[in-house]
Amino acid sequence: MIVDDNQYIRESVEILLQLNGTRLLNASGGEECLKHLQEGFRGVILMDIMMPFMDGWDTIREIVDRGLNDGNVIIMLTAMNEPTVKMDGLQEYVVDYITKPFNPNEFIEKLKFYVSFLDGVKAH
Amino acid sequence: MRSDPNIIVIGVSTGGPMTLKQIFSGRDPLNAAVIIVLHIASGMDRLIANGLASVSSMPVSLAKESETIQKGRIYLSPGGFHLKLEGNRRIVLYRGERVNYVQPSVDVAMQSLRKSLHGRIIGVILTGMGKDGAEGIRHIKGIGGVTIAQNQETSAIFGMPKAAAQTGAVDYVLPKEKIWKKLAELLKPSTSF
Repeated sequence: MIVDDNQYIRESVEILLQLNGTRLLNASGGEECLKHLQEGFRGVILMDIMMPFMDGWDTIREIVDRGLNDGNVIIMLTAMNEPTVKMDGLQEYVVDYITKPFNPNEFIEKLKFYVSFLDGVKAH
Repeated sequence: MRSDPNIIVIGVSTGGPMTLKQIFSGRDPLNAAVIIVLHIASGMDRLIANGLASVSSMPVSLAKESETIQKGRIYLSPGGFHLKLEGNRRIVLYRGERVNYVQPSVDVAMQSLRKSLHGRIIGVILTGMGKDGAEGIRHIKGIGGVTIAQNQETSAIFGMPKAAAQTGAVDYVLPKEKIWKKLAELLKPSTSF
């Protein structure tokens, strides 16, 4: 799932993943992300930080508070080079951090690596 | 006479699983017990240990309470517990207050080490958010150990390596591709500190 208020970014990532045979669910913000999780989504979550209403850190806090983090891998996908103090206490829930613009090959390699982790979850 | 093993403590957070895989993948075993303190929620820890085991020539396991560390093995701190080394040999796991907002904390693990008469002690800080590990690195340097931080260019987040380097107690700032080689070099019997 990609959580980003920028439609262009969502579509770019979707095209990239389609080329690699990976399905992508779209969320234009934190509320929509939480809705997808409550409806049962489990997988890799690519989370933008700067979003209106509920930013990426607030969304992760809400995911953890509602107990929706199990079975998910959260990766920040953001234009911010360095996180802010809002990340304090969320390190354990953010597995990786990709800065936009990103190298497509490295992005896919990373994504495949974390998807393989979740395959391990399903196997247990 | 008791012979302490060489000990490497690696502190790592965001970007860690991929970086650890890249450092240990296809490399020969190191002549040390390797303790990895990774900021990770419980549930993911075992998967990361399994993932690392699949690419490393060294056996990898989640650290267990009261276990005695052995050279040539990698121990990953389990999520939700702090890890200490008692007498530089025995693993102690406990739940306590978060340190630097995290549990396990790299500072807690590194600051539990004591000056070793026989073995070498190396502290490494890899990619990660925050500043956990900086005080641990200062401590390791203070007890005669060697310290390494990952460089900015190859860190997903330079926060932790930067905080460690800012203590002035880091001996080597290296790209991830050169870290294993430096560790192997430091652990050669003839290497003096």
